[in-house]
Amino acid sequence: MSQSLAKQCNELKERYDTCFLKWYSEKYLRGIGTADNNECSTLFKEYSSCLQEALKERGIDRLLEDAREDNKENDAAFLGRKK
Amino acid sequence: MKVFSNTETFDYSWEEVSTANWRKYCPWNDKSTHVVAVDTVSRTVDPATGILRTERLITCKQSAPDWLKSVMGGCMADESHVFETSYVDPATRTVTMVSANLTWSNLINVEETVVYRPLNEHQTQFKQEAKITALCGGWQRIKNNIEDSLVKRFRENAIKGKEGFEAVLEMSRRVFAEEREREKMSTIRAQASHIRMAHAS
Repeated sequence: MSQSLAKQCNELKERYDTCFLKWYSEKYLRGIGTADNNECSTLFKEYSSCLQEALKERGIDRLLEDAREDNKENDAAFLGRKK
Repeated sequence: MKVFSNTETFDYSWEEVSTANWRKYCPWNDKSTHVVAVDTVSRTVDPATGILRTERLITCKQSAPDWLKSVMGGCMADESHVFETSYVDPATRTVTMVSANLTWSNLINVEETVVYRPLNEHQTQFKQEAKITALCGGWQRIKNNIEDSLVKRFRENAIKGKEGFEAVLEMSRRVFAEEREREKMSTIRAQASHIRMAHAS
């Protein structure tokens, strides 16, 4: 797996990534994993809280906010809404 | 604005490619070493469409060309960030990834779109398009230089990217096969012990 930009999150990231990959290939692609709330949710929350703190420290959180705003058109196009 | 586009075919099923894509930048890929970190920022499944939407932050370490550094007054950090949003649509078997640069975004605008679609049950098409626009005021010649150097960078990274991803696909296939083999063996062992127990009783 790839590294996290914050070293202290690497272990949590690894655990989540491993869980996600298994869920994706064994459940999601077979049409049985459509819920957000799955076996990886808790692992994601743990990794995410570590990551969010690191992003805030580096000031990247604000850059992400802007990028997300700029990406709204793509969401509309690729999530199949607003046709 | 300049456009870079590229199409490749991978001799793997869409399911294999879309799975391996999540670990494209892992140690198995020794070609795309400019990507030093990949973090998942958010991930949701749309309940209406089943589309998996993921936001990732990609951290790159690739030094800028010296002439660009001199134009910029040497204030360019070697570490840069890219924001990637991806959409997996299992109904149409399509992965669409849209990326934009977070670093130097007031100077350069790079928007890349990558689409993975099945060609048949054993082959997947990779389609990449990048739009590069230098935003800084000033001479057109400098803007052209900046855009050209980024197109060149894209072309170099595309070749390395294909080679690196091929390595990841090969390793993924091997690891999945081994995992299936292990599962099969443990099922056989379990069945054997059931039979032994049945005989004993």
